[in-house]
Amino acid sequence: MKNKFTFWFITIILSIILIYTLVNTILMPVLTRNPLPKATIQNTDEKEKPGKSDKNSPKDDTISDLPVSNNSKEAMMKLFELRKKELLLHSRLSLANEDSMYLVLDLVNNTATLEMKGVSLHECRILDSKISNSIKMYKNDDLLNWMAEPFMVKHVDATIPKISFVEKVAPKDSIEANKAEVEPAPAKLGDVYMVMDFERNLRLVIKQVEKPDAEGKKLITALKRKYQGIEIRRSLQSLLKFNREPAMPQIDLVLPKSDATILYKALPLHLKVILKM
Amino acid sequence: MELEEKHERPYLNVITWTIPVLLTGLIVMMILFTPAFQDGAFKVKSWFVGSVVSEAKSLDGIEKLELKSQRNIQSIENKLDRLKPVKPYIVVNTTENRFSLRNVNGDTIKTGVCSSGKNEILIAGNKRIVFKTPKGMFDVKNKQEDRPWIKPDWAFIEDGLPIPSARSASRVEVGSLGDYALSIGNGYMLHGTLYQRFLGLPVTHGCVRIGDKDLELIYHTLSKGSKVFIY
Repeated sequence: MKNKFTFWFITIILSIILIYTLVNTILMPVLTRNPLPKATIQNTDEKEKPGKSDKNSPKDDTISDLPVSNNSKEAMMKLFELRKKELLLHSRLSLANEDSMYLVLDLVNNTATLEMKGVSLHECRILDSKISNSIKMYKNDDLLNWMAEPFMVKHVDATIPKISFVEKVAPKDSIEANKAEVEPAPAKLGDVYMVMDFERNLRLVIKQVEKPDAEGKKLITALKRKYQGIEIRRSLQSLLKFNREPAMPQIDLVLPKSDATILYKALPLHLKVILKM
Repeated sequence: MELEEKHERPYLNVITWTIPVLLTGLIVMMILFTPAFQDGAFKVKSWFVGSVVSEAKSLDGIEKLELKSQRNIQSIENKLDRLKPVKPYIVVNTTENRFSLRNVNGDTIKTGVCSSGKNEILIAGNKRIVFKTPKGMFDVKNKQEDRPWIKPDWAFIEDGLPIPSARSASRVEVGSLGDYALSIGNGYMLHGTLYQRFLGLPVTHGCVRIGDKDLELIYHTLSKGSKVFIY
């Protein structure tokens, strides 16, 4: 009798915890929170010509500003695609005006392009990509507003160093200098796995298509575990506060190892990315 | 003996129930915490509500917005075109040690191997001298044939030699920069090399070394003001 009571007591408590977790981590953020926060729009055209009012700014009006009357879903989708193209071009223009390299991820044609001043420096094929459902299901102003500005990186973690310097102590004399001379050899490419967290709640994960070696596997697993830990802590915190943050939209890309390395090493610290979807 | 067993059983039974129940609960919670599971919930939501699409509006308004969008696209594309180089340019990839010479339309004229900075820090007393190729966009400041190399202080430090005076003749070295040199500012250059076998490797002190034939073409294609992109 006592056992039966304990069993049901524990089961009920666990069920309550489970339902609470389910509601707080899954239902609440998905049903109530928009995962695509609005971009703070900086008008580059105004920067170029300060006195002039920007009559043709792509961000002047949203699709839903129009008066409601006849239904025309097809025309709306066409307009949506046009507006998307316009916003992307606007983002490219704003970045091309800066003195820094940026990344254009074209998930329609599956290409990743490193650009500067509108010039394509390095283009590579995206071999595989996965876009979160939280991005895919929005085909409205929320998505347009989210994509309206380039995404600026907040934090990057990778299994390879951005730049690795070799330190060498200057020789005392020419004899020591001659002795120290080493025949140069090509640098070994490490296995690549990187996680980039951007403003506006976006996470970009870049993986290599090649199988990693034993050392690379260790580094990749450690990085994955680190992010799993972060996610669990984030969830636990929101569970305790009953204030779950919106789901984090994630884009996973698979690139050849050489291209992933080139992009990572070339990209500036304050990387900006444009998404074409 | 029998009495002892009777006392132990209830305790054992609670353990056999609670441990699997607690473990299952923990595993389910761990699954719920994964972003993939949460993202799956969006998929489930889309089954019920479909894609979140902007509400359909009047056709009149749509057409006006379409026209405005098309005009804007054209205008932005023109602005982007105006930013592109107006002269042939060169792009240097320091990770793979390769270059690509391109015409104004962006078409490749020639690709080949080069050598870029060795990413080394030379420690000499309190000084830390960094040998790396700078990244970004540069202009060809000037072009010179058979340019002698005026050896900077680090060249002597690296060889373990005493640093001569600024105007010493021992600073001048003829031939080591190859037949042509294109300066891109701050002492960095695209130039030739005596060490052709090292092309394709990161061995330089920051300049970009290019093979003789490729360098000749680059020298005659690029002019003062041509863009040099290094990444």
